[in-house]
Amino acid sequence: MKRIAQWARKVLEKDQAPGISFNDMFVSFKEILALNNQTLDLIANANDKLSGDYIFDRRFIDTFCHETTNLVHELIYKLQVMAPRKYDALTTSFQRIESEINQVLTGRLISPVDDYIIPYSQITRDMIEAVGEKNAHLAELQSVLGLKIPEGFAITTAAYFAFIKFNSLDAPITETIQNWHNKTIKLGQASNKIKKMIMAGRIPKQLQKKIEAEINDISHRQNDQDLLFAIRSSAVGEDSEHSFAGQYQSKLNISRDDVIEAYKEVLASAFSERAIEYRRRRGIKEGEMAMAVGCQTIIRAECSGVLYTYDPVKPEKETMLVNASWGFGEQIVSGQAVADHFTLERQPPHALAGIKIVHKTSALASAEGGGTQAVPVPESRQEMPSLNNEQLQALAEIGLKIEKLHRKPQDIEFAINKEGSIVVLQARQLSMQRQELPRASELAKALKHYSVIIKEKGTVAQQGIAAGPVYKIDNNNDLNNVPIGSILVAKYASPNLTKVMNRIYGIITDIGSATGHLATVAREFRIPTILNMETATDLLQSGQEITMDAQENVIYQGIVKELRYHSLTDENIGDSFEYRLLRRVLRRIEPLYLIDPADSNFTPEKCRTFHDITRFVHEKAVQELIDFNYYHPHSPDAVAGRLQWSFPLDMVIIDIGGGLAPGKKSDVIVPSQVTSLPMQAVLKGMSHPGVWDTEPVSIDFGSFMSSLTRTFSSETTSPRMIGQNLAVISDNYTNISLRLGYHFTVIDSYVVDNIADNYAYFRFSGGVTDPRRRNRRARFIAEVLTKNDFHTDVHEDLIVGSIKKIDKEGTLERLYLLGILIGFTRQLDVRMVNEDQITLFVKKVDHFMEDSHEH
Amino acid sequence: MSTETKTSILILDDEPIVTKRLKPSLEKKGYEVEAFTESLGALKRIKEKNFNIVITDLKMEGVDGMQFLTEVKERSPKTEVIVITGFATMETAKESFKKGVFDFLSKPFKIGEITEIIQKAEEKIMHK
Repeated sequence: MKRIAQWARKVLEKDQAPGISFNDMFVSFKEILALNNQTLDLIANANDKLSGDYIFDRRFIDTFCHETTNLVHELIYKLQVMAPRKYDALTTSFQRIESEINQVLTGRLISPVDDYIIPYSQITRDMIEAVGEKNAHLAELQSVLGLKIPEGFAITTAAYFAFIKFNSLDAPITETIQNWHNKTIKLGQASNKIKKMIMAGRIPKQLQKKIEAEINDISHRQNDQDLLFAIRSSAVGEDSEHSFAGQYQSKLNISRDDVIEAYKEVLASAFSERAIEYRRRRGIKEGEMAMAVGCQTIIRAECSGVLYTYDPVKPEKETMLVNASWGFGEQIVSGQAVADHFTLERQPPHALAGIKIVHKTSALASAEGGGTQAVPVPESRQEMPSLNNEQLQALAEIGLKIEKLHRKPQDIEFAINKEGSIVVLQARQLSMQRQELPRASELAKALKHYSVIIKEKGTVAQQGIAAGPVYKIDNNNDLNNVPIGSILVAKYASPNLTKVMNRIYGIITDIGSATGHLATVAREFRIPTILNMETATDLLQSGQEITMDAQENVIYQGIVKELRYHSLTDENIGDSFEYRLLRRVLRRIEPLYLIDPADSNFTPEKCRTFHDITRFVHEKAVQELIDFNYYHPHSPDAVAGRLQWSFPLDMVIIDIGGGLAPGKKSDVIVPSQVTSLPMQAVLKGMSHPGVWDTEPVSIDFGSFMSSLTRTFSSETTSPRMIGQNLAVISDNYTNISLRLGYHFTVIDSYVVDNIADNYAYFRFSGGVTDPRRRNRRARFIAEVLTKNDFHTDVHEDLIVGSIKKIDKEGTLERLYLLGILIGFTRQLDVRMVNEDQITLFVKKVDHFMEDSHEH
Repeated sequence: MSTETKTSILILDDEPIVTKRLKPSLEKKGYEVEAFTESLGALKRIKEKNFNIVITDLKMEGVDGMQFLTEVKERSPKTEVIVITGFATMETAKESFKKGVFDFLSKPFKIGEITEIIQKAEEKIMHK
């Protein structure tokens, strides 16, 4: 031990900062851990504010940004103490993110991407600020719900800003609006002036090229040079799409040569009288507005129409309305053409409740050389329903899916293409006749007539109203059978439940934290969720119809129609300025893009958010500490020795305070001397009977786990290449690194009486030659972790599992499980010969855990 | 709500999000709620009507919240005042309690927390 350390020191001395002691290193390391947890907690708490259950204001957002910025700055500083000048580029990334946040706080939009063009297939929900709400929503229908949408692309807000900048329009627009605010000019004058400036503007070359190239690509893919396009507005920063319906212009049937001109017209429509006035009335600042545009291919429709998921005048009828006719749909949408009218029940199987077929003599079809023309309908089809039963069924299902995603009634434009499939052209919130629906002040009286099952309990993770039958989860297998439209009731807020988000209307759990993973995902999917209701699983039974009010924490017996109808139009608090602002700053703080430390992108320069920086610092701090242990003799205060037990695990343990029973003399540590709580749990798990299979496995398999137990046999090999198994422990802390070359397994855990401080972090990656087996092993581990409530990320063969804020016993039990996993998976990839092994081994681990409970 | 008449509540906060979230939620619970984002409007209203409960922020543009609650208490001593603020210092808390404020809540807070305080204030009013 000593010899190696001395040797290593000799080799690497010039590489290390002089004078820094192990204790100094460890103090910084511990501070980094604490700061890391503090930062992540602060972020999780801010996300929790988005649940809708809090009253917060602008000041809260400012304070949150300020505190997070300080913590992250402090983290970088501490890492620099551990490794001077090594990660200086972090400061640059930090400053960039900080300045972005400050810009967001001033209310000014900045485009999150530099791309001028993003194809629909690549748009994700978090690109809203780049592509606008309408584009993002449409793309989401494809990416989240798997629906068919027209091929096309978004011309981003970055393009808009480039256009404004290229033509130096920023100042004149602001000035013109200001003049209107000061009443020196009239609204109409202001609007006309700005629109003229935009129409006279020139499109930057780069932008024009990109648009043309994308159109070429699409024409090529569809093998159609005469494609027509719809150019649709997709603004950013509007309150909700519903209230903005019709504010901006859309241009239909545009030939490829006219796309650029149409693009400018749509941009100009952002400054129509109505739009400017609307923004002023809703308190939307001009700087908050940016116009993205959608460019979609026109579907050569056999039939087109509009679906309302509710009757806007008589919602209590519980029906959906469909208008449809032959050919293109623009006249149906605008109400200019006669159309067949269908009424469907909202409840599956969506029986036809009414039908009115009109006499259809002409239909719109594409005209030669662009545009559309009316063509006569053949006599045989004039009286024929434009949609058959099968299509109506499919439409109804599509409607409910979209409605569930957006939690409001939907107004959906669709077309049936030549192949007979339904293509969704646009979906937006349906305007309901407000006077028909109960107001908040009338609800109190109505609600008295319903019996309450649970009230004033629990934590709202996502606010909203949901009604439907209960589906109670007893064990994870039941998840496969969750009926669509259920309200899920479960004991724990397990991340496992996120698997069925697409099918459920609400979530209730007995236990759970609003800052946990499930809560975050529930907010993403906008599914009303109440956690910590304590006795929900006792009081609610599968099949029972209930209404959950995740605004006031009440569960009612039966379907409370007044609440449901009220929620169809109530103002969504999530749309208000403060929520938008908080979401926008969180986008620079919360997402984690740096996942795999082995990836070439895992660099200071690639940190895009504060979370990335936090992760990077944590990762490197662990590594620096390990390296330091490796190359330096330990401080006299720290006790170190080699673990000696019946299993061939060659591990060095460094005790930094209270991790070992006092009185250790020799360089050898036996497991019974270990007093560190988390370390004890891991060792016990590893030594669980049957887990550690000592049967020798040939080293030729190259498995990381089978070779991790090798001692470093040759002192002539660089220590970086030798497997080193190291545990740094204290009474409540353990950091275990099992290491070989590029491969690591890390357990990092802290266990105390205070629930809020507890966490266990596990990372596993193994390089075996056969990627299939490696992947099976990864899936096996991920399944075990998820089943045991870990939040798990799998990235090829890298698995990261973490769990936090559960009680001491719960955390120790999870560490025991990790011990089992380490021992058990040691040679597992070798045995992962087929898919069935995954289930088999998951069962085996379950069995081990049951065993441990009996003891 | 056990009484026939509804408990009346006035909310004053210059950040619209506060009244936007609070008003419908309290109405749903059976309260009669009027909300203001400008203190002038609220001042005018308390001269016309005595509310059972007044909820006000302390730091606002225009009229100071402390001034507003003083005015409320002078006009209608029976009205219970609940202060909500983003700057919760001991000093402001002490001062507002001296003025006879019923309770003090710092932002951000949960809907449930303020409902609980309102219920306590109601009990106090009923036992007067």
